[in-house]
Amino acid sequence: MKAFFSFFLCLLIVGTVFADDDIDYVEKLIKTKLDAMILILEKDDITQQEKESRIIEIISPLFDFSKMAKLALGKRYWPGLSKKEKKEYSDIFIKRLKESYVNKFNLYTDEKINYKTPLRVKKKIHFPIELISKDHSVTMLCKLYKSKKGWIIYDAEVQGVSVISTYRSQFDQVLRKGSIDDLIIKLQQMDTKSADSSNLDNLNILPSTTSIKTIGNES
Amino acid sequence: MKLRRVIQKNCIYSKQKIITFFITAAFFSFIPSFIYADYASEHEIDKNVEKKQLDINKKLSEPEITEEFDDDFDDEFEDEFEENADLKVFDPLSGYNRFMTVCNDKLYFWALKPAAKGYSFVVPEPGRLAINRCFLNIMFPVRLANNLLQLKFKNAGIETLRFGINTTIGILGFGDPAQSRLKLKPCPEDFGQTLGHYGMGSGFYMVLPFFGPSNLRDAMGKIPDYFLNPVNYIEEGYAVMSIKAYGGFNSISLHIGAYESLQKGAVDFYILLRDSYEQNRIMKIKE
Repeated sequence: MKAFFSFFLCLLIVGTVFADDDIDYVEKLIKTKLDAMILILEKDDITQQEKESRIIEIISPLFDFSKMAKLALGKRYWPGLSKKEKKEYSDIFIKRLKESYVNKFNLYTDEKINYKTPLRVKKKIHFPIELISKDHSVTMLCKLYKSKKGWIIYDAEVQGVSVISTYRSQFDQVLRKGSIDDLIIKLQQMDTKSADSSNLDNLNILPSTTSIKTIGNES
Repeated sequence: MKLRRVIQKNCIYSKQKIITFFITAAFFSFIPSFIYADYASEHEIDKNVEKKQLDINKKLSEPEITEEFDDDFDDEFEDEFEENADLKVFDPLSGYNRFMTVCNDKLYFWALKPAAKGYSFVVPEPGRLAINRCFLNIMFPVRLANNLLQLKFKNAGIETLRFGINTTIGILGFGDPAQSRLKLKPCPEDFGQTLGHYGMGSGFYMVLPFFGPSNLRDAMGKIPDYFLNPVNYIEEGYAVMSIKAYGGFNSISLHIGAYESLQKGAVDFYILLRDSYEQNRIMKIKE
């Protein structure tokens, strides 16, 4: 009896560690979505726009865009906005986010995806993924949290660089000296489908706004 | 009697089995929790203060809050990003850095990119990849020395194996059978990472002409790496410069589009470059 009792005790201990349904669910969810996305990217018989719209359809439910918009401003700035400002900012930010994700996916050229095991970190799950291309590999990390709608991505890290924190520091820089309207205007001016010429003129990177004419714009 | 002894013997055997199973199970069940504890942060939050502030903010904001824009700020999210804010980049030379970023940008768009496009039209991609692999192979002493300095002996061994295999079977490094056949991945290290590994902070952010974003520690780290780079021991100075420049140019031709894509998604590109560089270096030092 003692033997059986200790045997069941071991099973319980081992069971609670290995039977993590959330991690399995997250793994399956992301794998199926990414595999579906790659199938579309590899198709030759549909137009680029068709590909983009299909990808947005597949990938959008994975991301919590409104949470990302909130986090990009942070506790310092978000609560101080009016409802109208929040909506205006969120709409343009989410639009730009989606565009930038689609741009990144367009750079895909037969990379192999290596899924690693998701880890639980506090109440969230971190899912490391490796993209192996011809000459180097890119490490990505998807961070998910459990919302009312289930497990959903709130941030992604590419080569250790968290997307939300880069937006946070950029927006912090803008909002320190300007207002939310300045930020909204800058977001609207963001040219995500730009030509090959430098975008820096629009970004007013120098402290004093000097206009430097670019020579040889290629389209 | 015999039967009893047999049963006793079996009982003892199964008891031993169960005890070892219990121990191994307990052992395996503790390992994930150690990893978890290591990985998770150790920040203590004063939840009462945070909650009071949230209540105040809620009262100050509009009474009608739709579900989408509720003001409930999960402390855990905010803390996760505020922790990283402690690693905020110290940037006293921001004026100079911004200017140099623009200079490098113009250099790229006006000179390097058009030339790289023409070059990539003339030389097909497999050729350029092979040349890139050759240059990477030559930089082996830098990686070896820095892996050893960081006491990463396994990685140093892997790098040595890679160099040996790629130089011989891979014909002077143009091929990379070590990775494609033997799955030996490169372990890039430089002296800046070595300094960071031993606790040196990054100093301040500094943009170098041609090289791009860097910081005080990494720029200083280029000096010891200079002496480890075999290319620098070629006698004619101009040959050294042109070889290195060609290597860099070839590498750029393989990644046309990455820099532009980064610019497209930026509101303040200078800040994006700065933070991306620092976060990327932190990740490289940690691994």
